[in-house]
Amino acid sequence: MLGTYYYHEIMRKTIVAFGTLFNQIHIRHDDSSGNTYSDLKVPLAYGPSQKFLARLEQQEDLNKPVQITLPRMSFEMNNIQYDSTRKTGITQTFKAVNENTSAIKKVFMPVPYNIGFELNILSKLNDDALQIVEQILPYFQPSFNVTIDLISSIGEKRDVPIVLDSISFQDDYEGDFSTRRALIYTLRFTAKTYLFGPVADSSEGLIKKVQVDYYTDTNTQTAKREVRYTATPKALTDKNNDGVIDKKDDALLGPEDDFGFNETTTFFTDSKTYSPTQQTDI
Amino acid sequence: MALNPFFLQGSQSEQRLIQELINEQLTIYGVEIIYLPRKIVNKDSVLNEIQSSKFDDNYAIEAYVNTYEGYGGAGDIMTKFGMSLKDDLTVTISKEKFEDFISPFLGDDGDLFKKENDNDEINVAGRPREGDLIYFPLGGRLFEVKFVEHEQPFYQLGKNYVYQLKCELFEYSDELGGWDQLSTTTEEIDSVLEDQGYITSILMVGSGTDAEIIARTGTGYVRQISLIDDGYGYSSTPIVSISTSPSTSISNPFASAEAIAITTTTGTTQSIKEIILTNAGFGYTEAPTISIIGGGGTGAIATCSIETTGFGIVRYDVSKPGSGYPIPPVVSIGTPTSAGAAATSIVGSDSTITGFVLSTGGEFYGTPPNVIIDGPTSRVGVVSTLQTSNFSGDIVSLPYGSGYSNGVFPTSGGSGNGLIVELEAKSGSIVEIPTIIYGGQGYSPNDILQIVGGNNDAYIKIISTTTGIGSTATADSILTNGEVTGFTITNPGSGYIIPPTVSIENRSDTKDFTSSGLTTAIARANVSVGNTVTSVHIVNPGLGYSPAQPVSIASPPPTGIGTFIFNELVTGSISGAKARVKTWNKSDNILKVGTTNGTFVPGDVIVGSASSAQYSVDSIQSAEFADKYDKGEQIETLADTFLDFTETNPFGTY
Repeated sequence: MLGTYYYHEIMRKTIVAFGTLFNQIHIRHDDSSGNTYSDLKVPLAYGPSQKFLARLEQQEDLNKPVQITLPRMSFEMNNIQYDSTRKTGITQTFKAVNENTSAIKKVFMPVPYNIGFELNILSKLNDDALQIVEQILPYFQPSFNVTIDLISSIGEKRDVPIVLDSISFQDDYEGDFSTRRALIYTLRFTAKTYLFGPVADSSEGLIKKVQVDYYTDTNTQTAKREVRYTATPKALTDKNNDGVIDKKDDALLGPEDDFGFNETTTFFTDSKTYSPTQQTDI
Repeated sequence: MALNPFFLQGSQSEQRLIQELINEQLTIYGVEIIYLPRKIVNKDSVLNEIQSSKFDDNYAIEAYVNTYEGYGGAGDIMTKFGMSLKDDLTVTISKEKFEDFISPFLGDDGDLFKKENDNDEINVAGRPREGDLIYFPLGGRLFEVKFVEHEQPFYQLGKNYVYQLKCELFEYSDELGGWDQLSTTTEEIDSVLEDQGYITSILMVGSGTDAEIIARTGTGYVRQISLIDDGYGYSSTPIVSISTSPSTSISNPFASAEAIAITTTTGTTQSIKEIILTNAGFGYTEAPTISIIGGGGTGAIATCSIETTGFGIVRYDVSKPGSGYPIPPVVSIGTPTSAGAAATSIVGSDSTITGFVLSTGGEFYGTPPNVIIDGPTSRVGVVSTLQTSNFSGDIVSLPYGSGYSNGVFPTSGGSGNGLIVELEAKSGSIVEIPTIIYGGQGYSPNDILQIVGGNNDAYIKIISTTTGIGSTATADSILTNGEVTGFTITNPGSGYIIPPTVSIENRSDTKDFTSSGLTTAIARANVSVGNTVTSVHIVNPGLGYSPAQPVSIASPPPTGIGTFIFNELVTGSISGAKARVKTWNKSDNILKVGTTNGTFVPGDVIVGSASSAQYSVDSIQSAEFADKYDKGEQIETLADTFLDFTETNPFGTY
């Protein structure tokens, strides 16, 4: 039943979008005179990893001379939860234009999901951690919006608020001397993203004409249409480059274009009525 | 209860024996470790942590490895922060050896621990200290002392003989490289640390040679391009097409102007930021039309104005691309002078300047230009003394001659010309030896000359001649509406035989830049990936240049000199950033530095404090911790493909 294959990489994009917020944080160290002698970019990575890959990348030399280089940050997705507060009508679809092919695509309204993230900061010094945290917190009030192109095939960009839920830290400085002090700050976030179902080609085509007939009687068997209102799209740009914007341009309008309206009101006295099947007045 | 007095609880000699035995055992079974005391650079007294440390002393000492079966601790573990190597090491060192050979250097006299923190000293010199490092040579690894156990074994014969150092692998940040630290002073440790920590890899420029450019001037050129509408929706740079010049021909292939568009992105809309001339063309009689084609966008409109009278710099030819230019060099163009005035001089019969013939009055003068008149040429045979004589040269006594009056008279005869004398006469006869007014030239002693005047019966004989120079004439120019229209002779000079050359200065500081429209040209050089000058674009072609306008292009930064050495301090000339050298690879021109306090920028000339080596920065290749943990760059690159903000992000740009 659910077998239609699709993969918009929405959660992966959300992970990347979350991570990229924190990838240019630096800390500085001063000497006793107050002069900065060291400026370090705090490394960042997605925490979960294949173990063998981590060891090969980070411990190329088996006799690595130091334990770890600090400070560093890692982040990971730690829960996915449906957000009922952002629920929309489930049967509603919206159409979009494939920017590359101008074809019309149809997709159901997305399902709102909250993705929980955890950003961990490991540092040797409390001051290092404070430098990092202070560069992050002011941007979240309590959320920070990123605009993500969730489905590039239809150009669907959504603002995804990333909400800072809580901050906690662990400073294990007590105890015997068999372990060193460990200083880890943990920032928990929620990204309010949307999950889309499959994107289908729409067979419905473009509506290029709207027609409304008015009757003076409610008896549809006998009443004849007497006034007809029609609306068609009106070109706003010179589509055929002939120097004028006219009906020829109207005919060239595509789904990707902005347009106005040509409105026509016609009065009839011929006692005919419109046949939708024959698409003419009979 | 008192102790049994018949048993010693350890005599000094026994204690001494045990200590000696332990020392010997350590030298037999131990490993020579290197002890690196921590020196505090900066301490935060509130958070109570050492913010900056350095380790630039080392002391070798023998140590017994307690954990002889391998490292203790949790081993290599995977954490959410990547690999963490939780190896422990416990070593035993001799208390006596430490106190004799290391402690004295950690005391008040030698311990920088104290010197750098006079107000906040930690003076623990008598024992090994927690926080110090030991280098374990068998694994080539650095361990940090977590705990010093001094009571194991527990008071054998009443005394403790060893320290046990409980250590764990060092957590490295940016120690070993403070500004005043040259190295750990141990090459072995230095080489281990070369590839550790936060390393910035910089591609340097090998060597440089000067580029040369030639300015081409012309008139009928595109003076200025105005961008009327910057358009929208461009996905690539559109082509700018300018209608051809009437002067374009096979022999004049560069007569038509050419330009390029530079786009900018505002939000998600890419539009044209400016249009820059690459060739201003020449020979246009009316403003050409500009078409902006392609690029996927629409709506951009530009117009231009032309200059058909004055000369501007319409094109720059790169005659030598040079090398070693990591950033575009400055193009220096002199201020325009426009046309200058020119004149010739007129010499009168008395060999003075009597007037000028103005050939062109020049233009745009704001103040009267200086008039420079060449000096007279030197003359030989100038009469210096003479005597009265008759026509055959015999000396005659005064008075002589008839019909003369007081005044100035020319002469004739002899081998030269131009002698003029003044006479004093009474009753028509000359009563004094004639006075020389102008000595003429070309005369020889014994020449006999007739004084022209009176009855032409008085003669003079030249006794001696000399070499004469005369004086240089001076004049001022007169301006009318910015043009030189005349001259005022302030000194006619003397001794001119032929009309001297007249130069009327044509300097930019005498020109009126306010109302004339004279404009200094501005150009922008472009450099290639290979650091050569590829082209020079015209920001402003200027107005009022002479056809052979010299231009110059700045030399490349001094580069390609010397060899950087490990751990020396290097400083960037533009950024002011400082760093410690990790490695220098001359063949690839890659300099790796650690402990940077800023960001080096292309064009920075990085100079080594110890080696004096200097190279300029081409580009920053990478700046990251060496262990490949950081994935920030990959994450950002990926995010740029679908996030709706461009390269920068709010956490990195403020």
